[in-house]
Amino acid sequence: MATIDLAQVSVTEANRLIRAYGDQGEDVDVANPDARHHIGVGLTAPVRLRIHGSAGYFCAGLSDGPTVEVEGNVGWGLADNMTAGTVVVRGNASAIPGVAIRGADVIVHGNIGSRAGQVMKEGTLCCGGNANFMTGYMMYGGRLIVCGDSGELVGQDIHGGSIYVGGKVGSLGQDAMLADVEPHELDDVLAFLERWQVPFSGTFKKIVNAGRNLRYARTEPRVRVVPFFVGSERTDYWNAKVQEDISVKAQIGRYRIRGYGATRPLPHLSDLAFRADLTRVEPDPDVVAKVDLRSSLGGRFGATPIELSMPAMIAPMSYGALSKSTKVALARASALSDICDNSGEGGLIPEVREAAKRVVVQMLGGRLGWSVHAMRAADGIEIYVSQGAKPGLGGQLMAKKVTEDIARLRGIPAGIDLRSPSRHPDVLGADDLVIKVEELREATGWEKPVSVKLGAGRVRDDVKIAFKDGFDYVCLDGMQGSTGAAGNEVLEFVGIPTLSAIVEALDALDALGASGMPIMLMGGIKDGIDTAKAIALGAHGVALGTSTIIAGGCIACLQCAVGQCVVGIATQDPVYEARYDVDAESWNIHRYLEAVRWQLASVVHAHGYGSVYDLSRDDLVALTPEAAEITRLPYAPEATGNTLARAVA
Amino acid sequence: MCGIAGILYKDGLRHELGRDLITMLDGCQHRGPDSTGFALYHGSAATAGDGGRSDLRLRFFVGEGDEAQSTVADIRARFAGLGAEIVEEEVAGTTARFLVRFDGDLQQLSYAMEHEAKLASIGESLDIIKDVGSAHDVDDAYGIAGFDGTHGIGHVRLATESAVSPEAGHPFWATGFSDIAIVHNGQITNYYKMRRRLEKRGFEFHTDNDSELIAVYLADKLAQGAQLEEALAQSIQDLDGTFSFLVSTKDEIGYAKDRLAAKPMVLYEDGDIVAVASEEVSLNKLFPGRALETTEPAPGTYRTWRKAA
Repeated sequence: MATIDLAQVSVTEANRLIRAYGDQGEDVDVANPDARHHIGVGLTAPVRLRIHGSAGYFCAGLSDGPTVEVEGNVGWGLADNMTAGTVVVRGNASAIPGVAIRGADVIVHGNIGSRAGQVMKEGTLCCGGNANFMTGYMMYGGRLIVCGDSGELVGQDIHGGSIYVGGKVGSLGQDAMLADVEPHELDDVLAFLERWQVPFSGTFKKIVNAGRNLRYARTEPRVRVVPFFVGSERTDYWNAKVQEDISVKAQIGRYRIRGYGATRPLPHLSDLAFRADLTRVEPDPDVVAKVDLRSSLGGRFGATPIELSMPAMIAPMSYGALSKSTKVALARASALSDICDNSGEGGLIPEVREAAKRVVVQMLGGRLGWSVHAMRAADGIEIYVSQGAKPGLGGQLMAKKVTEDIARLRGIPAGIDLRSPSRHPDVLGADDLVIKVEELREATGWEKPVSVKLGAGRVRDDVKIAFKDGFDYVCLDGMQGSTGAAGNEVLEFVGIPTLSAIVEALDALDALGASGMPIMLMGGIKDGIDTAKAIALGAHGVALGTSTIIAGGCIACLQCAVGQCVVGIATQDPVYEARYDVDAESWNIHRYLEAVRWQLASVVHAHGYGSVYDLSRDDLVALTPEAAEITRLPYAPEATGNTLARAVA
Repeated sequence: MCGIAGILYKDGLRHELGRDLITMLDGCQHRGPDSTGFALYHGSAATAGDGGRSDLRLRFFVGEGDEAQSTVADIRARFAGLGAEIVEEEVAGTTARFLVRFDGDLQQLSYAMEHEAKLASIGESLDIIKDVGSAHDVDDAYGIAGFDGTHGIGHVRLATESAVSPEAGHPFWATGFSDIAIVHNGQITNYYKMRRRLEKRGFEFHTDNDSELIAVYLADKLAQGAQLEEALAQSIQDLDGTFSFLVSTKDEIGYAKDRLAAKPMVLYEDGDIVAVASEEVSLNKLFPGRALETTEPAPGTYRTWRKAA
């Protein structure tokens, strides 16, 4: 039995010691916890931890297997995302106890705060006293037992699992209903209470999903393929794409969900040109060897940086939106080109981890497929706040794509139209986000870079907050960014263009006098020329999503949401997925990435520079008044740089 | 976006208020590293004659160096013009504190003085001190630990939308009213609507911070004769958004929490004190090594405590 005195050592040091003791099979007593945050975060050994006092936020969070006892109270997010193990709290728990648990028994003898069990997947959260507001909010599965009163809006948007209430049931939440308690269920609940010595006498009422809201009444039909560029013609309002949109709405009677991003013309990097006349420089077949394109991300707080052979990454796209074959092809291509892949929503699958040399794992509000093991397996961790295609909204995965395998991985019921939460259960402000970032760092021993993905909306404020909240870097996504599924109007009209986003982001960092937090820009980056322009503007690099999908065979029909992708990319149907040739497409994507590299190197070399980071705003001009206004670059449509394509072709 | 803390000593006597608030705010400084502020209630200063008002404490933001000197001179002249007698004055940090004897209309005094320099607070008991930096930084500049008092509230701020500057920090004084201060964690989403309503009735606002609105809103209710509890009950109906806030008057502190329970708040009470903070870690800092019996106020609730007379 070891004792750690938190009056003497920091929580970070304590967690390191607890992990070391756990590996040796030794139990640990924690003295003087004094409600500090993150105690016992990231434990993956079956260690027994006794906390003599109160613990703060995220006690025993992001863990798998420990047994934790707390003599006093706990703060927000008790046992956050716990995979297995036990937590017993003698006092009260603050808001969102048992958030996103994937297993485990979590017992609070006192009262519990608001939104208990939010987005929980499996396991049992048990409260000996009273619960509070929105108990079981958006829970996907598992069991929530409240011996006392439930509080108001119990089971708000519950998707799966059961809530048992021994006391007074307050108002029922949206899509929740009362159901009969089967005798065997009652026996199980009573046995659980007896095992954990939670006193109770009386009977339980049960609250479950009412089945009114898990599926859209009608879903988008598969329609004739109309290439996306038809929708981008400036000249006519009534084009084939508009007609298609109206026809689909005539069938489904609501907003239309589709794939891709904004199709209407927006100011973009193509409205900029290089000032210098690069056509005068002779093409050089060895150009890649002559300039330094290497890039590094994530050392701001001493984590092991993500090293990239060029300043580009694969943009986050989920296994779910994309087929497993496509995810594997992207991962392989990223390894062949020595850059970094990204899991997207829904978890890091082993096939991707194995194929990618480096991979970032994303955490979204639903915590789908999220666990401490995914964090440990990844090279970087990314908190998704929003994305350029649909800033402020959550992901959508239509029922056709929510297969048994996807559902199991994500911890949700199969066959629902999955509408992921648009916000994080434990981040309701910049102040909460500080603590969340710390938790992720604690769980990984401060070794992994932690980034944030931001859709471009109020970029100035958001980037300042990202800097203050201690992120290593920002992935900034403009409204040209694509998605597997979002409402058409949101795609076209919500957010700000990629070009405006990068300018606002850099202005915000200047205003703070901040340095050392790189911005990776995404949203409509087509090639190495766009990449060079983004970097010249001040971005650290780019992320490539849509372009890599197109390189791997996408025909841009915009029907990713339907689930019957004719080329096997945006589908989970084995019949369609069989059409996707992983080997061939991974090489196609790789060759495209090498073309990006070659273009980027050519631009750098043609300027006479040795490093990609020698590019600067001084090298750019604007070709349109609008782009000049956005970027404050000189308006110079006569610039010769826009003939660059000829120079490097 | 921020952390809040407040403490009231039930015996009504002066305790080590500054030190206790520093301790609590230091405990939640992670929630707001940009600026830190204190609303300290010293107890009333000397009374001028029978039935008269106690001397008023006024603290102004005056800047530094020459700017501070000329602003202080302007303030003195304006006081003289309004018939306010300066009893004491002191420059500290980027502020100047005055103790004045004045029997006229307080709202007129405060609006007039605002034209000379930005006011942090006016009160018979209240003194608001706020500046950029941590609780310990502000203590170093203003000697907060040396302040004793009967109750007080404090705030650490992470600026999200408005600027990082001393006057944009909390606590907010209810401009035009004496001895009322608030600290707030959250966001008032019907800010402009509520502000326009109050402006139409002649109230002035001196920042674009939504939290100033809460102070003026509550002070207006109190001026109309409402008890603090009633004003808080009404605020939960009238204010939209996410909020956990603390309010303090000459004799009371209170809290209100929004109906969505989006922002945290933890409460500790024993026979001697009431302490409220965003996080238990702040409360626990007052009692190291102890597991405290705390409660988390329910959504949509409010409560007040009054010190012994």
